[in-house]
Amino acid sequence: MKYDVIVIGAGHAGVEAAHAAARLGCSVGLSTLSRDTVAHMPCNPAIGGTAKGHLVREIDALGGLMGVAADATGIQFKLLNRSRGPAVWSPRAQADKRSYSRWVRAALESEPNITWLIGKVGEILVENGRVAGIGMEQGDRYECKALVITTGTFLNGLVHIGDEQIPAGRAKEPPSRALAESLKAHAFKWGRLKTGTPPRLHRRSIDFSAATEAGIFSEERGDAKPVPFSFRTIQKLENKVSCWLVYTTEDVHSLVRDHIKQSPLFNGQIQGVGPRYCPSLEDKVMRFPKRERHQIYLEPEGLDNDEIYLNGLSMSLPRVLQEKIVQSIPGLRDAEMIRPAYAVEYDFIQPTELKSTLETHRIKGLLLAGQINGTSGYEEAAAQGIVAGINAAKLIRGEEIFTLSRSEAYIGILVDDLVTRGCLEPYRMFTSRAEHRLLLRIDNADLRLTPKGRATGLVSDCQWDNFEKRRARYKQNLSTVESTKIRLPGHENLFAAQALKRPKTKLVDLYQKGYISIETTESTFDLDLASVETTVKYAGYLKQELSRVDRVRRQERRRIPTGFPFMKVPGLSREVVQRLLEVRPETLGQAGRIPGVTPAALAVLGAYLNRPSFTKSASH
Amino acid sequence: MFSTQDTIVAIATPPGRGGLGVIRISGPECQKVSGLILEQAHELQPRHATLTRVRGVDSVIATFFVAPQSYTGEDVVEISAHGSPVVLQEIVQAAQVAGARLAEPGEFTLRAFLHGRIDLVQAEAVGDIINAVTPLQARTAFDQLEGTLTRRIREIDAALFDLVARLESSLDFPDEDYHFIEPSELSEKIHGLKVSIDELRNDAACGRMVREGAQVTIVGRPNTGKSSLFNALAGTDRAIVTDRPGTTRDLVTEVTEIEGLAVTLVDTAGVRNSTDVIEREGVSRAHGAVTVADLLLVTLDQSSPLTREDYEVLAMTQGRPRKILLTKCDCGAAWLKSTIVINEEALSVSALTGAGLGELRKEIAQALTNHTKLRDIPAISNLRHIALLEKASSGLMQAERAATNSAAEEFVISDLQQAQAALEEITGARSSEDLLQHIFERFCIGK
Repeated sequence: MKYDVIVIGAGHAGVEAAHAAARLGCSVGLSTLSRDTVAHMPCNPAIGGTAKGHLVREIDALGGLMGVAADATGIQFKLLNRSRGPAVWSPRAQADKRSYSRWVRAALESEPNITWLIGKVGEILVENGRVAGIGMEQGDRYECKALVITTGTFLNGLVHIGDEQIPAGRAKEPPSRALAESLKAHAFKWGRLKTGTPPRLHRRSIDFSAATEAGIFSEERGDAKPVPFSFRTIQKLENKVSCWLVYTTEDVHSLVRDHIKQSPLFNGQIQGVGPRYCPSLEDKVMRFPKRERHQIYLEPEGLDNDEIYLNGLSMSLPRVLQEKIVQSIPGLRDAEMIRPAYAVEYDFIQPTELKSTLETHRIKGLLLAGQINGTSGYEEAAAQGIVAGINAAKLIRGEEIFTLSRSEAYIGILVDDLVTRGCLEPYRMFTSRAEHRLLLRIDNADLRLTPKGRATGLVSDCQWDNFEKRRARYKQNLSTVESTKIRLPGHENLFAAQALKRPKTKLVDLYQKGYISIETTESTFDLDLASVETTVKYAGYLKQELSRVDRVRRQERRRIPTGFPFMKVPGLSREVVQRLLEVRPETLGQAGRIPGVTPAALAVLGAYLNRPSFTKSASH
Repeated sequence: MFSTQDTIVAIATPPGRGGLGVIRISGPECQKVSGLILEQAHELQPRHATLTRVRGVDSVIATFFVAPQSYTGEDVVEISAHGSPVVLQEIVQAAQVAGARLAEPGEFTLRAFLHGRIDLVQAEAVGDIINAVTPLQARTAFDQLEGTLTRRIREIDAALFDLVARLESSLDFPDEDYHFIEPSELSEKIHGLKVSIDELRNDAACGRMVREGAQVTIVGRPNTGKSSLFNALAGTDRAIVTDRPGTTRDLVTEVTEIEGLAVTLVDTAGVRNSTDVIEREGVSRAHGAVTVADLLLVTLDQSSPLTREDYEVLAMTQGRPRKILLTKCDCGAAWLKSTIVINEEALSVSALTGAGLGELRKEIAQALTNHTKLRDIPAISNLRHIALLEKASSGLMQAERAATNSAAEEFVISDLQQAQAALEEITGARSSEDLLQHIFERFCIGK
């Protein structure tokens, strides 16, 4: 069989890649071990959160699946950072894991261009430096013009629970060894990372109401008026579950300290590097001995699911000890552990091997997305998936590639950080990674990106109609605010826009007190208002930010041609040349972000690119 | 210019005759070149001064510095010869014949910069040291070269970085039960940083004076001893001194050193209404010199009665930085200090006996720099740095205002980032990865 695009893996990266390529008209073969684990969430039962929520809004604005799926199946919704400024508002939802997976699977099954290839991929086929297809472990072969690999933690996955070591990609699922070997034959730069997941407890073994009444747990509910991830979501969102917050105690900490030698993370059994932002319990106790307590959130994994996820308690200690630790947490004395926490080590390919399209430098038509590139998180994976899926389609048609800049989208930052800096630990998105944060808000994700998504062909007519209405609303509201005179108590007549520039005046108050009319809909109310208010209130800041973007853009426009002979540039040190050859930057701006490339080296490179002889030869 | 593959040579000491002249050769072929032009039989021993001869030219001391422990970070040979321009030129030519290329201006420093031996601040300081006229200028530039300035700015930058990291953490990790920074503490901290930067900026004004020198102009009615004072301060006899009023008809200038400051001393024509065309032109030039001076020395002859012209001079210099001098104090006083109604201290001096001149020098230096002790401050003598510090200060001012108005953190951060960007332009950039590193080092974060 022959496909335009084959996607290996149907996790969060794989499903977005397959969906995007299919919507762009490609025939897609989607290879997975089982259709029961499509868009599976092996770790926390949640989508979004700080900065990750931005990614989801952006994926949605481009026409991706994640936002709609999370809205359709979420069971508790919160807009984080609401008390802070509009640029850091971030939606988060507790997910119902099973229904999320079912929803995404159904969405893919309704795409006529997608064919499921059930089985285990054993090798990738490459001819003359170009990808040609895949070979399954059972022996079948499938041809393709572009291949997207999204194998998550499966490449040489090794699960650690105390001194038990189980080769596995995720709990109870076999690792991909043959595929790893087949990829390694192509001389990619590899690394090994580690991540982990906490224990799951049985719901019936915890008395939530008693512990809450006793003040041991504090109950966390969703927002009274949930804000959806997607502007396409019209149905009213409902909070169906609560979460609970509890703290560790000195008893827990001393158990960890006394048995630290049994932790593979601390006794040398695990070599891979784990994420600092998601420290294991062992890390928390040993590295921060002065902290008296650590937060643990109890989160249900779904409505028809008995598992309670212990957010904050990932570890690699032996099972017996884990049970003891869990039961020494206040309110969990009788807790029944369904599954132990585990750490998993896996291979990843240094993403400096990739172009900003996520295609590898070494093999044409081969794209990588998700954890294989060293990232962590469902949202980071999905964001890469959509970029890889669109570009797979663009590449085989010889159309212009699809990239987003750092000032356009968190997705742009994610990809640029990966391909420019590589990974030393699992990469997670943070708002602090965004240097133009004020421009990259959740309220304007669609205004920033939906036109781009439409241009690629991914945004459907229905989404586009919806968007045009929303954009018209935005413009209308802006002109209303600028042209309506209002009279606030104790003030002269003034334009609403002028009133909004005062720190304490809020658009929602002006609206609710009847000073001004606003075009909006129930589900888009908060963000419609935020777009207008931010544009007016922070006009000065936004202008300043835009001028900063402008300055950077000049460097970004100076392209470095493919195959540029960095070693021939006089005055560059050997180390710098080596870094440049590894990363192969596409612009002068990107070259400047490579660690180790000094301002002096950049000046030299810039001067060389400017030489008339070079400019002439490069343009041919 | 940006190539570091070849070997360069140049005279490293200033042009003109001197006791010593130094030639510097730098680059991969440096040993080969020096081997060809020097007479000694053995290879130069690293970091040892060797007495030898340049074939047919002069006896010299040669020192070999092995990469990367050299000024440029490359192999370097420095040859000290007698400071005759002819001798030095010949040695350079010999080196060129042996395969070295004549260096472009600043190329040694550029190479040091390209090889990471010095940062941008230091590279700029090298230029200042070379151009230093007075010992204090050299010392200031040296401070900068040694990184005193870089260190002070880094301290401020580090505090700012920590502040930004705390704000960023509260945005990135809203669920953590930390108060990364209390809102009340925020504006106070920003204010503290702004004060530190403004201190540096004040010092900068002084540093600039040190680097660029100041103009000190002597004014007074005719025959009040301006030229005598000029000669006494400048240590020359440039100005013609006579008993006849109106001898000095044009501006006389001399660059001199006062307490380590490079000072351009200006003598002017005595201010009076004259019918002489040339003298009137001189007086008008004196008026011009008054308006551009960094400091005026106003001379009043205490040995003869005050005149209308003395009062005119006092009125003309009113409100400008000035020092009132009661001259000819060795000749007895014709009037008392209290006769003239001014709020300033007047200093009695005598160019003839030298009385009061030592104190005058100190007071000139102090008035020019607003500092009593010149040698204990890191000096920012570079306009680029001053401009960047001003930018940083204004960013902090906006941030403080935003914080006081309880603006959302991201806007405060945006202002702080502007300040940060300015400081980093001086000390070198940081990435968001550094920021996260800092956050994770200090806090146990993540659930």
